[in-house]
Amino acid sequence: MSGITVNELYKTYKGSAEPTLKGLTFQFEKGKIAGLLGPNGAGKTTTISILCGIVKSDTGEVFIHGLKQDAAHREAIKRLIGIVPQQIALYPQLSAVENLTYFGNLYGFKGKALQQKIMYYLELFGLEASAHKEIHKYSGGMKRRANIIAAILHDPQLLVLDEPTAGVDVQSRSMILQFLRDYNRQGASILYTSHLLEEAQSLCEEVVIMDAGKMIVHGHPLTLIREHATCNNLEDVFLHFTGHAVRD
Amino acid sequence: MLRLLATIRKEWQLLLRDKTGLILLFVMPVVLITVMALIQDAPFKDYQDIKFDILTVDNDHGRLGRYIREGLESGGQFNIIDSLEGKPVTAERARQLVNEGKYKISIIVPEGATAAIVSNANHIVNDITKRMGMSASLPVKRQADSLNVIIYFDPAAKKAFKGAIHQALDNFLTQVETDMLLGRIKQQLKSKDSVANTTDTLPIRLQAVGLQEHSTGTGKQLDVISNSVQHNVPAWSIFAMFFIVIPIAGNMIREREDGSLLRMKLIPGSYLAILAGKMFFFVGICVLQFYLMMLVGIYVMPLLDLPTLQMGQRHGATLLVAAGIGLAATAYGILVGTIFKTPNQALNFGAISIVILSAIGGIWIPLEVMPAKMQLLGHLSPLSWGLDAINDIYLRNGDINYVWKNVVRLVLTGLAMLAVAGWLEKRRLN
Repeated sequence: MSGITVNELYKTYKGSAEPTLKGLTFQFEKGKIAGLLGPNGAGKTTTISILCGIVKSDTGEVFIHGLKQDAAHREAIKRLIGIVPQQIALYPQLSAVENLTYFGNLYGFKGKALQQKIMYYLELFGLEASAHKEIHKYSGGMKRRANIIAAILHDPQLLVLDEPTAGVDVQSRSMILQFLRDYNRQGASILYTSHLLEEAQSLCEEVVIMDAGKMIVHGHPLTLIREHATCNNLEDVFLHFTGHAVRD
Repeated sequence: MLRLLATIRKEWQLLLRDKTGLILLFVMPVVLITVMALIQDAPFKDYQDIKFDILTVDNDHGRLGRYIREGLESGGQFNIIDSLEGKPVTAERARQLVNEGKYKISIIVPEGATAAIVSNANHIVNDITKRMGMSASLPVKRQADSLNVIIYFDPAAKKAFKGAIHQALDNFLTQVETDMLLGRIKQQLKSKDSVANTTDTLPIRLQAVGLQEHSTGTGKQLDVISNSVQHNVPAWSIFAMFFIVIPIAGNMIREREDGSLLRMKLIPGSYLAILAGKMFFFVGICVLQFYLMMLVGIYVMPLLDLPTLQMGQRHGATLLVAAGIGLAATAYGILVGTIFKTPNQALNFGAISIVILSAIGGIWIPLEVMPAKMQLLGHLSPLSWGLDAINDIYLRNGDINYVWKNVVRLVLTGLAMLAVAGWLEKRRLN
């Protein structure tokens, strides 16, 4: 069954002459770890925003776990998705527990059950000792881990992560990637964007490389590498399709 | 309800950790209203409330000089100074001292002034008695002198101040001349009237109809007048409440930049509940600010020799107005936070726009003293609606019937600003 289906998406932002998405089409299987890759300005963030229902496409369709992304299913899709933005979307002056309690309350969770869940995840991500420390006192890696917890409090079936390991140390990265594998093993689908192609190659079961608002290539990383004789890794494949020109 | 309460608690936690924000919201406004009430105290006082040193040079040495001196002193408004360092003040010295700004006013009573007034009064009385067929017997100067009591004003004195003093002295001179004239008439009649001659109680009264000021209010509190505290405490409190725009706008922009706004919007359920939580919290803070500043008006101002703030009798109406102002201020903060992309832009625009809205809205000086066109513009400022409503309660002893129009204006403007903010946010995403 399809986890994410994107059909002929077109999107031009108001005031922009050039369309950001030009007929983007791809499909990811449910229960897989998928990578959405592309150079800067390729349209990845716009695509994720449309998938989550934050931005409307001009034309085209999106299906999440069989539900069409439209007004009728928006709330149901929100329950399915957990999003980890590239920024640390937490209040820096509040502690991890205060932040997570707030976002948990917004999901409708409260009381002891919520606190137990928060403590479970803080322990899982190695943050239990800093549970009551304000977020601005956390290291970069700790912030990234807390940022992920805020997105999984409602046990989403599809976890969307926008560069979740940017700027973190090796240990934190390893912990985050291990968590994603474990979470996927429990049946959740994962959609992930990153500029770290070595990481994407080891983590993802499917990748879409997109550029200038279109899908360029789609497949398993190892298959893509094998299909292109001159490519030794996913980065070679990426450069093969998107070129060496520096992007704005 | 959980979302609303959680948002209120989160905003409270954030505020408690933001020491600068707490100072901006609670300490600075208290300092502001205290300073403004103190420095604007003098311009708000009636001239009767202020005692001026007045240099008096009496070259007449007659009854007029004495009358003027006694009259000025009896009013309690002037402190008569006629000698400096043990020497009588001369006309030239008085002119110099006033010109140097060391004194605000000087009065020079010219030599022969009393004689001139007496002669004039005698002339009038003689004329009346002659017309009545009696003999004129009072002495009159052959040629009338043209004499003036000279007033010197400090060149820096304001026109309104000069006008008020000029008028007061002019009235006083008229009074002296009238008294002299009446005295002469009484004297002349007394010599012709045997009854009056024995009793000496001839009833001559010039003012048959007098003036008496009554309050327009209908409640118990009838004697509240607009003074520095009555104007400045509510006015600058409203100004300070609108400064909540800065923390709210900064908060909105940070939430948008760090992605927490996105996270909130991705959570199932209406974002309106979260927004309502924010609104409740910040409106509550505004109301708290308002009452804190009213307490300063009631308990701190008298310690600084300023009048005590009178809050009127309609406390429910006051709470409603404070909440209305808080709602408009909070909505403005959300709008500014939605329009601008960086906290710096929002801070500058927010602060300057509030200063402009307050200036045209009658916060700095009452709208009534502004030019007609500015008054029209001023009535468009939400700050003026808030101030009008507070004045209706505090000065006119008004109730909800007096203020509901301004409260509705504040609430509708707040809702309109929220609608525009919502539309802009939607537009920004697409």
